[in-house]
Amino acid sequence: MSDLTLGDLDRDGAIREAVERLSDGTRGAFLGKAVLGSAALLGALATPAAAGATAASDVAILNYALTLEYLQSAFYTEAERLGAVGGELKSVPPQLGAVERAHVTAIKAALGHAAVKRPAFDFRGVTEDKTKFLKTAVAFEDLGAAAYKAQAPRIKSPALLAAAISIHSVEARHAAWMRFLAGVIPAATPFDEGKPISEVKAIVASTRFIVSHPKTGSTRKPKFTG
Amino acid sequence: MAGGALTAGGLLVAGFPRLAVSAPSAAQDQRILNFALLFEYIEAGFYAEAFSKDKLSGELLEYVSVVRGHERAHVAFLKSALGAAARKEPKLDFGDTTSNPAKFTAAAIALEETVIAAYNGQAANLTKPILAEAAKIVSVEARHAGWIRAIAAKNPAPNATDHPKTAAQVQADINHTGFLRSG
Repeated sequence: MSDLTLGDLDRDGAIREAVERLSDGTRGAFLGKAVLGSAALLGALATPAAAGATAASDVAILNYALTLEYLQSAFYTEAERLGAVGGELKSVPPQLGAVERAHVTAIKAALGHAAVKRPAFDFRGVTEDKTKFLKTAVAFEDLGAAAYKAQAPRIKSPALLAAAISIHSVEARHAAWMRFLAGVIPAATPFDEGKPISEVKAIVASTRFIVSHPKTGSTRKPKFTG
Repeated sequence: MAGGALTAGGLLVAGFPRLAVSAPSAAQDQRILNFALLFEYIEAGFYAEAFSKDKLSGELLEYVSVVRGHERAHVAFLKSALGAAARKEPKLDFGDTTSNPAKFTAAAIALEETVIAAYNGQAANLTKPILAEAAKIVSVEARHAGWIRAIAAKNPAPNATDHPKTAAQVQADINHTGFLRSG
């Protein structure tokens, strides 16, 4: 698998073609309205009641989700900082960056000391090339939705499940938005399939965006020293 | 039976647990899936009528052409899962929301947002195998919401999480649309 293949996300064969058709329209004019309401659910992730009783398997799932959120948030944050993604895509890095950073913050708080460290990233120029940026955003958001979906039935804690499923649908909105901007059908099938961890990890590895891996054990229960 | 759909819906809702309070069971799955079938019927009916009235064009036509098939597939899935327990299709009246593009857009956004909140609100109440199936549907509803909002130049994902709604809140949203006709 070469870099940026990103699994079967190109299976409709449309992404590359669509990206080539990108116009300089005024899409994304709802720019700058990075409204982050609905923080209550994410706050619920961070309550000691949720974290203290967290099952080892839930900790592993949260750390897996955290790694994906680190990846997404770093991607959009870097794109925003570099400022090379403009035009109808101008609102994307700040808007999605803010949301993904909120996900990172909430999941880290839920995990406490059990949280994996933020890896180092090298986006290899993708964050400063409009076409590559959009193609990668489509892939990341489709992947994020598929990753959460596969884990949702495995989550033991009802509170964590409620939070995760409410992040899951936001990732799907992002996927539809990015696909719309790319001119690819935003909702290709009546049912979205999940992707298991092994498949998601292989896809992420294929991007070579993560250049150092977190070392914290991801299957331990949270430990609190305070 | 006069007021059948609404009454049945109301009774159903009254018996609903709040989010994540009661233990999932096969019987509860059935009640939740039947509730989902109600709003999937509404979505499917809405898009089918909008398509057949043929008053939409451009991006809206592309949207309705695709999404109507998804909602039909969701109805078929739920009916198949429920078997003989599946509720009947309610009588629906969409007024001019299926022929006026601006009203169609507003109604589509409202319906999709309600349905996302409805599925999210029931996630923890479902048994795991049924949750796995519902999760395949809710993200498609979320894609629809993102899509129609993008067409309308509204932020497709304004929040970091999609807040869940209880069945009672969803029922109130549905009643507010006026799309359900009794009798």
